[in-house]
Amino acid sequence: MAEKNESLETKDFAGMVAMSIVFLVLVAVCFWREFSTEWGGYQREFPQLLGHYGKAEDARDFRPGIQQIWIPKIGVTDRCISCHLGYEWSSVLPATIAEPLKPHPMNDWLAKHEFARFGCTPCHGGDGAATTIAGAHQGGTGWDDPMLSRALAAQNGLTMKEMIQMRCNFCHRHDVATPGMEEINLAKQLFKKKKCLVCHIVEGRGGATGPELTYEGDRNPELLNFAHVKGAHTFFNWNVEHLTLASVVSPDTQMPDFNLQPQESRALTLLLLSWRRLTYPPEYIPDPQVAAAAMQPSPTPTATATPTATPVAH
Amino acid sequence: MGDQIKALWRKTSWAWSPASERESSEAIVKNFWLHWFPAKVARASMDWNYSFWLGTASASLLLILTITGVMLMFFYVPSTERAYGSIKDLEYAVSFGRLLRNQHRWAAEGMVAVVYIHMARVFFTGAYRGTRAINWVVGVVLFLATLFLSFTGYLLPWDQLAFWAITVGTSIAKQAPLVGPTIQFLLLGGNEIGQQTLLRFYVLHVFFLPVLVWVLFAYHMWRVRKDGGLAVIERVRNERVMAPKATPKTKSYSLFGLTPGTSVQVMSSTGLEESDQVFSSPNMSRRIALVFLVVFNLTLLAAIIFNAPLEGLANPSVTPNPAKAPWYFVWLQELVASTTVRMGDFTVSGALLGGILLPGFLLAVLTMWPWLDRSPRSAEGRWLAPERKRQNATFAVATLAIIILIMVGVYLRGPYWRLYWPGQPRPETPRLY
Repeated sequence: MAEKNESLETKDFAGMVAMSIVFLVLVAVCFWREFSTEWGGYQREFPQLLGHYGKAEDARDFRPGIQQIWIPKIGVTDRCISCHLGYEWSSVLPATIAEPLKPHPMNDWLAKHEFARFGCTPCHGGDGAATTIAGAHQGGTGWDDPMLSRALAAQNGLTMKEMIQMRCNFCHRHDVATPGMEEINLAKQLFKKKKCLVCHIVEGRGGATGPELTYEGDRNPELLNFAHVKGAHTFFNWNVEHLTLASVVSPDTQMPDFNLQPQESRALTLLLLSWRRLTYPPEYIPDPQVAAAAMQPSPTPTATATPTATPVAH
Repeated sequence: MGDQIKALWRKTSWAWSPASERESSEAIVKNFWLHWFPAKVARASMDWNYSFWLGTASASLLLILTITGVMLMFFYVPSTERAYGSIKDLEYAVSFGRLLRNQHRWAAEGMVAVVYIHMARVFFTGAYRGTRAINWVVGVVLFLATLFLSFTGYLLPWDQLAFWAITVGTSIAKQAPLVGPTIQFLLLGGNEIGQQTLLRFYVLHVFFLPVLVWVLFAYHMWRVRKDGGLAVIERVRNERVMAPKATPKTKSYSLFGLTPGTSVQVMSSTGLEESDQVFSSPNMSRRIALVFLVVFNLTLLAAIIFNAPLEGLANPSVTPNPAKAPWYFVWLQELVASTTVRMGDFTVSGALLGGILLPGFLLAVLTMWPWLDRSPRSAEGRWLAPERKRQNATFAVATLAIIILIMVGVYLRGPYWRLYWPGQPRPETPRLY
């Protein structure tokens, strides 16, 4: 009996030892993974960079860790700045620094769209909560709102600046025209010129021949017919081709062929895709009059004399 | 040298060592943690090849799930607005948050599988006869509770996968005769999935079902002891009765005609000999610790290698194509789809047959099986006893059929629930840009 018992004890004891070693190894792996983050490397690099450009004090004050811009009222938790650390240092760091430490270019619209009020993703898209390169830029499986990168814009025949205008129009939807949003401005002109409202309802106005377009950007792309689409099977491209030659993409449609230029159909697509169910608070929505006034050609004295053109401080 | 170290270890870590078997037994019975076990257990029930320790593995998974689950509760917010964001925070901003969620996820899916395999083991060893029949029924309820625990947890991330899997699952429940729509209404807390559904599933998931499972688990364990331990003991006892031990020949008993043999057989109340038993501590307690460690390591390894799925935020207006139920219910979905008959524009839904009647029948038969089993008691506690050949084959075929249906549903079903062979290109679902 003692002999058998002994073997039971020895075997199980050996198993315990082996499994304990495996456990310790696994725990070590967990810790190693937890502390070898993608952002960790950039955060070690960044203070050195600041020091190099004469900001030794700021470099000393730099505290490593996940950084985020948190704006609850527009649902923004943007951890992009955990890697893109130079974003607000354009006055110190040169624009030649490689991503992700490169400062955000000091565009003229940036003065009105402060980082603290807007964060990153409202303009750029992507998954602001993510702290990995792939997760933030592409999102995970089924993440349908990727970051509007240069590559993605190029795939759709646009520049990044043009593509982002779609997101500008989330708030600037009711502007007649907005400075800096050439594509959307062109689309809004075309929308009037081609008399889209004769057949389509947008925000309660228009004819009921075609489908309502108020929330066109939220349509499920799977419900569209891609059988006659020549290019990429994307919601964007379906709209581009449909606007160019509706009779080809949707043979049963009553929509006339407008024979738009590629640039025009892309601009209109950007406009359509910008029409989404979004709930930005009223203080984020610009006064349409102000934007229109800013678009008036400045040399004409009559434009500046009209009372509506008086800039309203927001 | 080894003996010296052992002696030193005993000297430094133990103030007392039992002087007799009786003292050893009392040391177990009088200890709060160890009194759950009997003082001694049958050596046969310690065998790896009999039980594969699947029940202990299930209990280990339950413990892991409870601990990781309580930790997740510190971060998770059961609101349709915050739930998805809190999972993102766990994945990206909470220390070890992703690991925690991964381990919870894989332990949960593992528990569904291990509990089922445990049940299969009990079936194949015919270990549900006599008084053990009650524990079989308790086990079936525990299995259902495990499934429902996993199912309620599936919704909580509030992503597309969760939202549509629960849509599929609760739509099947709706097809039950008479009570179907009421069951669906009760589960959803309304007519469609929303905040009420999330809250109901959350309360079920973190309170009612875990409490139910822990209470039933305690009862399950108590019954194992009261039923006399694992059924393998019956086999040992049968062997002992059939093979009387050799005793020194004495004349007097047979002379007086007291007993047919040459000696009196003295049997213990359990029918087991001293040599058939070992002290439960340290033998069983150490074994349980070992099984727990193995299970913990496996779930941790899975958590390190594989990420728990998380798709885009739940969107009621965009249905993923195809929308699939969780894998352990996908065989039901597959049954529903394949029993749905289309004649022109007229469709006969298979949800009643495939989703309710057939699984309901299977469940009823499974629950009643101890009373349907007519095999001889000698088959008890033996793996794949020839006396139970047909029963075992039936169970194996049913299990295999379910596994095949799950495989087809998970791997071969593509857009519009069409079949696609591995490697066969599937139609690309359109992207946004």
